[in-house]
Amino acid sequence: MTLLLQQVVLGLLIGGIYVAVAMGFSLVWGILNIVNLAHGALVIVGAYLTWWLFARLGLDPFLSLPLVALALFGLGYLLQRGLVNRVIRAPLFFTLLLTFGVNLMIVNVLLLLFKSDFRSVTPAYSGSGLGIAGIEVPYIRVGALAVALLVAGAVGYLLNRTRTGAAILAVGADRDAARLVGVDLRHVYALTFAIGAACAGVAGALISTIQAITPTAGEPYTLQAFVVVVLGGLGRVSATVVGGLLFGLVETLGQTMVPGLGAGWANAIAFAIMVLVLVVRPQGLLGRLA
Amino acid sequence: MLSRRNVAGLAAAMAVGLAACGSAGGGAATTTGEDIVIGAPMSITGSQSKEGGLAKQGYDMWLQWINGQGGIVVKGTRHKVQLKYEDDQSKPDISAQLTQKLVAEEHAQFLLGPYGSATTASDAVVAEKNGVPMVEGNGAAQAIFNQGYKYVFGVLSPANRYLQGVLDMAASLSPRPTSIAMLSADDNFSLEVAKAVTDYAPSKGFAIVYSDKYPNGSTNLSGLVANAKAKSPDLVLNSGHLQEAIAIHKAAKDLKLDARGFAYSVGPSTPDFVTALGKDADFVFSGSQWTAQVKYRPSFYLSVPDYVAAYKKQFSTSEEPDYHVAESTAACLALQKAIENAGSLKPDKVRDALASLDVTTFFGQTKFDSRGINVYKPMVVEQIQDGKHHTVWPADLADAKPLYPTPAWSSR
Amino acid sequence: MSDTSESPHFSSEGLRLAGSGRRRILLVLLLVALVLVLLAPLTTTDQADSLGLPSLVDRSQVRILTTIAMFVVLASGWNLVGGLTGYGSFGNVAFFGLGAYTCAVAVDVHRLHLPLAVGIALSPVVAAAFAALVGLALLRLRGHYFAIATLGIAVAVGEVVKNIEFLGGATGLFPPILRRADLVFLYLMVGVALLAVGVTRVILRSRFGYGLIAIRENEDAAQVLGVNTTAYKVAAFAVAAALTGLAGGVFALWNSFVNQELGFSLDFNIQMILMAVVGGAGTLLGPVIGAVVLELLIQLLAGRSDVAVYTQIGLGLLLAVTVIFVPRGIVDFFGGRSRLTLAQIRRSLRETGV
Repeated sequence: MTLLLQQVVLGLLIGGIYVAVAMGFSLVWGILNIVNLAHGALVIVGAYLTWWLFARLGLDPFLSLPLVALALFGLGYLLQRGLVNRVIRAPLFFTLLLTFGVNLMIVNVLLLLFKSDFRSVTPAYSGSGLGIAGIEVPYIRVGALAVALLVAGAVGYLLNRTRTGAAILAVGADRDAARLVGVDLRHVYALTFAIGAACAGVAGALISTIQAITPTAGEPYTLQAFVVVVLGGLGRVSATVVGGLLFGLVETLGQTMVPGLGAGWANAIAFAIMVLVLVVRPQGLLGRLA
Repeated sequence: MLSRRNVAGLAAAMAVGLAACGSAGGGAATTTGEDIVIGAPMSITGSQSKEGGLAKQGYDMWLQWINGQGGIVVKGTRHKVQLKYEDDQSKPDISAQLTQKLVAEEHAQFLLGPYGSATTASDAVVAEKNGVPMVEGNGAAQAIFNQGYKYVFGVLSPANRYLQGVLDMAASLSPRPTSIAMLSADDNFSLEVAKAVTDYAPSKGFAIVYSDKYPNGSTNLSGLVANAKAKSPDLVLNSGHLQEAIAIHKAAKDLKLDARGFAYSVGPSTPDFVTALGKDADFVFSGSQWTAQVKYRPSFYLSVPDYVAAYKKQFSTSEEPDYHVAESTAACLALQKAIENAGSLKPDKVRDALASLDVTTFFGQTKFDSRGINVYKPMVVEQIQDGKHHTVWPADLADAKPLYPTPAWSSR
Repeated sequence: MSDTSESPHFSSEGLRLAGSGRRRILLVLLLVALVLVLLAPLTTTDQADSLGLPSLVDRSQVRILTTIAMFVVLASGWNLVGGLTGYGSFGNVAFFGLGAYTCAVAVDVHRLHLPLAVGIALSPVVAAAFAALVGLALLRLRGHYFAIATLGIAVAVGEVVKNIEFLGGATGLFPPILRRADLVFLYLMVGVALLAVGVTRVILRSRFGYGLIAIRENEDAAQVLGVNTTAYKVAAFAVAAALTGLAGGVFALWNSFVNQELGFSLDFNIQMILMAVVGGAGTLLGPVIGAVVLELLIQLLAGRSDVAVYTQIGLGLLLAVTVIFVPRGIVDFFGGRSRLTLAQIRRSLRETGV
């Protein structure tokens, strides 16, 4: 029983990371209809930035979150305004290819800068946590979950309760109508992508404390973001939160609690489930059809 | 005036002069032949670039030494060596293409292996098709050697040996551990290592209380570690890669898995492990092909301490060479010795000389079984003690005693 | 004449032979290249040697040519689904892997131990059958969802194969090494490439092809007009899978080693898409040009560690530039009118940008 509870706790905690990673991805896909294949790369840029601030300036990873978010915001704005905006009206496939090309470029620039050494952010309090009734709850992971939920809340508030958010949602619903009403499409597109990139940066900061990073470590996160968005659905912040937590739970429990199958099947099962959901219920659990 | 004394003296002088010209050996007056071209596809960039870089260092160490000696001696003629590298970006298909290019366009007469089992398997096919002997030190999967290839030889101990040394050592520790949790990545090499552990453990009195495999490259392994913790294992073993070793160890600390010993097949021997984990890396064991403390007596080339010193000098570092460097140099040495023994540069003759080779170098005994892999060299066990690497097993090669049991996380 | 050049969609104009001199030059160039590819390697045989003929190509170059031919097949296969039908698949490598593994398992001495020819013959069959089965479900999705679903399938199949010992598991499979067969495999692969191009040509001129293009341009309208869109899409998917699977089967025997990383290579996956798009998606010769140009580029730059990172950055840049400025690909340059004037580029940007 204790083991099951421990696994559930672990699953929820890692789910927090998945929520953070998927939030930006979901926003960009849901509003702009852009599947950003460079998302994982942006996450890793955030991770490297956090590491650099920690290793060179001694800045605690949780404290450097706003800085990282700001930096990635700027990068995302430039990327969208300069590159991705040019192919928005082209067949969907082109944005996939473009973001893939951007991914290649970002990862290799990171390789140039940092080589392929493994880096890790290990603040003094890593490894310590609460021990409740035989269940370990590491502080850093709890912090990560808290940050992720905070980010989700912030994005939700932005979208639903501010004018900017209204503009973003309008563009997502019908871009030409939005333009007719006076919304500056180029700016709103870039803004949305920038917010998505900032979320990715925050996710990267959290990840740097949990695993060792290397320039190519972002790829699995793009794939995981897919799965989360497919599971939870598009169009609502709550959908991404549910999707992320659910995926964390399923991954942890599935990996370890299914007798006889073994964790080696984890990837196969994850993708099979994703395809199944796509075919049977493309809007996911909570989403609206995009 | 040609007096008899003068003629005798002249004749004597001429005789000495002729003798000096004609003497072979001693490095002085052998003839020099054409360069020997050896091809080396290597993962200089890409996912295996770290280890590939280390392997390249190993090759370069031998290259500098052999050419400093004047080259490889083939029947009294010295041939300098040209080592031609190609970067395969850690990709097996590119590696195979480059291997073919080295043979067909760059006239490589012999091949040195790339890094990693998949690339080695791909390149082995090309070597076999072209009838070019290939000696490798960085691909330990046995599957390659079960195919009956004639031209491929591996100087390193095969995968299934990697953690056996750890089990042997554990059997000698007290209080004697009895239970093992075995976590393995799901790639070919790691699975071979894990299977060997689960097969060998019962004979040594260990029970495998938990065993599972995870997707290669996973970073989220806390679930598995929690499962392992529930079984209270004395020893936690992992066969996988650096990234996963770090993830598992971090999770073990997070979850307070207080095993008496942690052993990882790959990871601890690289500097990155200690840099990433700091003090948490202490007490960790790993199975190693070679360490800088082993006491082998070589029949040629440098001794172990000389090798370490030469490495530090050549690469301007205070780090000791890790086993990837050593096993690569060992591959070169095997090739060199085989060529010398064969007394020929013909591929088939060298191939036969490799098959019957039996020599001890700083790396240990180098001899190939009928499949072409070196089953005669033991693996050693390393342990990180206070941030430094020490060899702790077998006793006749060790420089320190194993620190056991590992203290609980809360008391560190 | 209504000028379809303003629409941001692909044009099938590129295949009409009438008119352009540039088009003729391209065809002549390709024909000459084909003849060279077929005849030059013959100078490496023992017979040619005894006749004293100078060797024009070496084994390494024969290998490169075989690889190029393989990618012609892969890119053409993708083109059928992604270019003609407008369903950009991100998982065609699944068929390549299925074909390769089918052949490898079939000929393996410890497994099915069937003759080599049977192994090769089975590859397209298995791949096409899988495509038909899976396509019925997947082809109901559109746009991004289709792309992701296909990617999911490719990854899932690769992972499943890795976990099953009979299929080689993590180790992979080692088909028997065939000595002195380099030329055989070259001609075989070129043959498959010619088949792929031929099939594409037949399709482009047929009712089936027009149906596919109609689906790409406006699927709902096509459906209303009586095109059985499901049947057509699945058929295109299956044909693409068959060709890709056949290439996989030949690859397995040629390479004498298949594992998950090679058979379901995400590198191959993205390369075939790049080649088709950079060459010209939706056209007959686009994939061919793309395969030749890109593979030569990759091979030229391979092996040099100092440029490796820059090569990757360059590829990313090439992709970005192509997608933004030259979406119709290289072959467009040989089409009816040159699309590469500054004015045209600016116009195209205004259409696709926001």
